[in-house]
Amino acid sequence: MKLVLVPLLLVLAAGDFAGGKLLPHIDGWKLESAPTTYTPESLFEFNDGGADAFLNFDFQELTSASFMNAKKVVLTADLFRHRDPIRAFGIYSQERLPGSPKMPGKLEGSVAPDHLEFVAGDYYVKLALPGGGDPAILPMFAEKIAAKLPGKRGLPPVLACFPGEGKQPRAEKLTARDFLGHPFLHDAASAPYQIDGVHFRLFAVEGKDASDARGMVAAFRSLAKLPKADVPGEGTETLKDPLNGEVELAWNGRWLWGAVDDPSPAPSPARQALIDELGHKLQRL
Amino acid sequence: MSNSSIERREFLKLGTAGVAASLAAGCATTVVESKPSAPTPMAAAPEPPKPEAPVQATLQRRKLGRTGIEVPLVSMGVMNADNPNLVKAALDGGMVLLDTAHGYQDGRNEEMLGTFLPSRRRDSFAICTKVFVSTLDRGTGLFGRGTRAGEISEKLDISLKRLGLDHVDVLYLHAQTAREGVLHDAMLAGLEKAKQEGKTRFIGVSTHKNEPDVLRAAIEGKLYDVVLTSYNFKQDHHLEVQKAIGEAAAAGLGIVAMKTQAGVFWDKEKTKPIDMKAALRWALRDPNVHTSIPGFTTFDQLQDDLAVMHAPALTPADSEKLQDQKLAGLYCQGCEQCLEPCLQNLPIPDLMRGYMYGHAYKNREAAQSLVLALNLPAQPCDDCDTCQVVCAKGFDVRARVRDIVRLREVPREFLI
Repeated sequence: MKLVLVPLLLVLAAGDFAGGKLLPHIDGWKLESAPTTYTPESLFEFNDGGADAFLNFDFQELTSASFMNAKKVVLTADLFRHRDPIRAFGIYSQERLPGSPKMPGKLEGSVAPDHLEFVAGDYYVKLALPGGGDPAILPMFAEKIAAKLPGKRGLPPVLACFPGEGKQPRAEKLTARDFLGHPFLHDAASAPYQIDGVHFRLFAVEGKDASDARGMVAAFRSLAKLPKADVPGEGTETLKDPLNGEVELAWNGRWLWGAVDDPSPAPSPARQALIDELGHKLQRL
Repeated sequence: MSNSSIERREFLKLGTAGVAASLAAGCATTVVESKPSAPTPMAAAPEPPKPEAPVQATLQRRKLGRTGIEVPLVSMGVMNADNPNLVKAALDGGMVLLDTAHGYQDGRNEEMLGTFLPSRRRDSFAICTKVFVSTLDRGTGLFGRGTRAGEISEKLDISLKRLGLDHVDVLYLHAQTAREGVLHDAMLAGLEKAKQEGKTRFIGVSTHKNEPDVLRAAIEGKLYDVVLTSYNFKQDHHLEVQKAIGEAAAAGLGIVAMKTQAGVFWDKEKTKPIDMKAALRWALRDPNVHTSIPGFTTFDQLQDDLAVMHAPALTPADSEKLQDQKLAGLYCQGCEQCLEPCLQNLPIPDLMRGYMYGHAYKNREAAQSLVLALNLPAQPCDDCDTCQVVCAKGFDVRARVRDIVRLREVPREFLI
């Protein structure tokens, strides 16, 4: 039994150390207690009903800690590690308040008086001052934590393909699966737009390859009750999704893109221009 | 899926409004259950699969305890949905109760609901949200220093603003795991104030751990109207949860079951999905569970949940699907059709049970004890050239008998 326990304890200790290693030492602040680590199996204990959203983005591990300073101000830090930077951005994008102010500095993050969220590498980090405190504490902690996080910085390249005109700022979303409520649509990015008073969303869906993308088009055509036909390598189609309304769809190679949620009876040339621009940029990725 | 009561093609053809009309037409009457009884136990031995039960002509509803809200047995856990069209489809399909929380998607979940709920008739849906109080120690379930009643109303005000509503139907104290948390003075004061101010009609508590303690504390607290509790067939302590649910329901509390899908997969690698309809029906077989809140993100999953809403009875086929897959290929159902053909008059069901002890439970001591107690011939099966036994489950009976009787020769100390 001892032989089993010793390596087990070593593994647990290493896990704690790995999580604790990510937390900075900041003068005047001390950890309230040892950081807690959660795995995909135990995340429900941390986040209960909200855990699935993180698991959808291939959550790997959470390090959760609470700091306190001499004035008894408490800061909580939750560091969610995901499988890769795109998935870390994905859960961040799902939780980000659309249009929320960007945090100061180069990091991608959103800031409010009592909380701040940012992404860096594989990590999505949430900081909060549950009992209030100087808001300047938050970006200071964020920079210190980010400096310890491994991995590349920056936004997923697909986001740069969305045209700027009419786009709601800082409101792009990544959806890992079940985009538009359809299990055949995965790995989607979308952004809300407003052109001439009309609201709609542009979207881009990335297939694993061209064949996968054509499969998604075929499933979408079937859903819209279009006659069966071979899906060519590229094309456009206006689909009547019985559950989401009209969908303007284009595809080429491994990408699908288009517009949805447009209530106007006839699409405007301006919207079509945005769809075309999105498609051109996707082809260059 | 192929027997689903609302066929996919019909669902898609009709669209959301059409589904609602179709379902309404299929519901000649609404049955409201008021007298709870003991839950139907899951069959000890699974029966052979049978076709799924036909759609009931009536939509079964249960009263959510003392709230008096009548709810279909299936409601919507909105937590993972970001598509308002999906939630609209659920409501149009007959669901009434929506479950969200202040913290889901950092508030985006409530905002998504707020894009369309204000334009719907307020008495056509019931909305439940939850407030997590930041000083709760998730490990101990105790509230720490600085716990304030005011945090509840501050967060509820934000939730109401996001939802675009002036009140919710149930406000839960989120994620409680200890009696002390449920009965914390500041929490009770904060919840009561929210109710007095008309910001919530009813008070509840949600729990996903130590559920029996929380359920009993909710009874003790008197203030609570509803408990949202984990409840599924895979819980090791589901009988304790069931008992506490019964006590809470008898005390007038409304019971909402969550995590009915038991993790969705049998295995850690997520290759073997649990039958969602069967798992949901397992929870609903307990009449003290008034509704459930499975989470779904696709229209296909909604379709399945609507099917259960209209045909909630747990069938023998469902029970079989819920047998642990590890055991499914080893579980003798005790039909005894093997007894008569066996020329050696072997107690085959007992031997199959011993085989399960040895190979599924890895309890070789129990398997050996059982085999030794059967007074078997020295070489069972060796006198027959061919075995006449045809097992209803397709077991290779002869091979299993020969395998398990070998345990008789193994010294006890080697049985680890």
